[in-house]
Amino acid sequence: MNDAHRWLNEHPELGSGPIPIEPYIAPDWYEREREKIFRKVWLCVGRVDEIPKKGDYKVKRLAAADTSVILMRGKDDVVRAYHNICAHRGNTVVTETGPETFGRSKAAIVTCRFHGWVYGADGALKHVPSEERFYECFDKQKNGLSPIHVDFWEGFIFINLAETPDASLTEFLGDYAAHFAGFPFAELSYQFTYYTELECNWKVAHDAFAEAYHVDTIHAGSFPNTFSTGLQNVKLMGPHRTCAVCLTLGATPTPVAGIANSIAGASLVTQRAETMLPPSINPDKREDFAFELSVLFPNTLIHVSEGIWFTHQFWPIAHNRTLWEGRYYVRPPKTNAERWAMEHAMTLQRNAWLEDTATMEDTQRAMQSRAKTVQNLQDDEILIRHSAVVVDEYVNA
Amino acid sequence: MIRLCSVEELDEDEILRVELDGGHGIAVYLLDGEIFATDDLCTHGEASLAEGEIEDGKIVCPFHLGSFDIRTGAACAAPCSIALKTYPVEVIGGDVHIAM
Repeated sequence: MNDAHRWLNEHPELGSGPIPIEPYIAPDWYEREREKIFRKVWLCVGRVDEIPKKGDYKVKRLAAADTSVILMRGKDDVVRAYHNICAHRGNTVVTETGPETFGRSKAAIVTCRFHGWVYGADGALKHVPSEERFYECFDKQKNGLSPIHVDFWEGFIFINLAETPDASLTEFLGDYAAHFAGFPFAELSYQFTYYTELECNWKVAHDAFAEAYHVDTIHAGSFPNTFSTGLQNVKLMGPHRTCAVCLTLGATPTPVAGIANSIAGASLVTQRAETMLPPSINPDKREDFAFELSVLFPNTLIHVSEGIWFTHQFWPIAHNRTLWEGRYYVRPPKTNAERWAMEHAMTLQRNAWLEDTATMEDTQRAMQSRAKTVQNLQDDEILIRHSAVVVDEYVNA
Repeated sequence: MIRLCSVEELDEDEILRVELDGGHGIAVYLLDGEIFATDDLCTHGEASLAEGEIEDGKIVCPFHLGSFDIRTGAACAAPCSIALKTYPVEVIGGDVHIAM
């Protein structure tokens, strides 16, 4: 057995050959992904604590499925999901100001600003101005908001755009849910978000974050000399995947990063005692465990570590355009020193993400030359290989 | 005189909806320390004004963002055009009363 090929040995079914580039650059392949993946599977569209109060709502644009979803908390405290379209003449009910639009209504209603049709958080059409001028065939009861399947896991909101989903959310998550069960996502609520549109395929973005091989080269500036043993505990769970990323946590930080680490320990590359990780994460209690890197198919990466969790989401806009959202969460600071230390850790993380995203548009542009038709993956890039296999299975299903 | 509520129940940030016998809703406001009462139902749509927001002495309807002057009931912003009925308020022994 060659230890350098340990993941191939564990997962021979994934093969070891080169991976075709065409799915990253072909518009018709993307059309099939939209139909077979983004309009079919459960998608993570937010967290319940983003809309904490009754009547709070968020509208999220889902370009890959040609719709926007209204997520609204009703007076009964239940979060429901609807397409953002008015039954009158098809305008958006909530006027969107970007990829995500937030609002609140004490009355738990949304009003279309075109002609003033009012809908409740339960989806019912509550008020139509000059209703008497509509004809007998118009039935208010049948013209509520169009509902979307919604379900929840660990405070994450999922929607499914299929008329009848192939699987329940629990079935879809499978072992992935059990792997992370118990991690205190909600307690680590102090967060920052970065988002931007990138000129690359969503899988180029996924792949850039789904391995640690790049750390030594790309992050030589932000996290110098931290790469050690790479991936450990790779686990493939249906369409989802996870692994531990191990780094040299003892590397000398810059003086200011050292001070920040000693106050808050909010940086990924510092040694921290394990108190909150579920038993399935870092099961061998490796000293060099830095964080768990997981992919919740298709487009959500969830990472957890002691005192920190963060996500990347890649929302396709076109075959070569992607909305990237990166969110980083820590426990709310209690002192000004902690606040400063966390801001420092977050800034460092932001720099690392900028380094990560820097390659994506270059990769896409170069891939589109078609001068190369395949990419060559090494053993520690198994999550990318698994992704390619899973996407291929869905698209050709 | 009809008793609506006690003074203690009122809050500057919250509008209290009181339902009278027969279902007629009254909105009770505490505005800069003064108490006011109006009909709760918007004169334009079917909205409960108690679920609206107070802005600059006006009650803004949650349905279409029309508004009324809380003190006088005058319609201040379209689509509201018909004035809102207001009621003189009297506080007797810590309780808010109106004359119908």
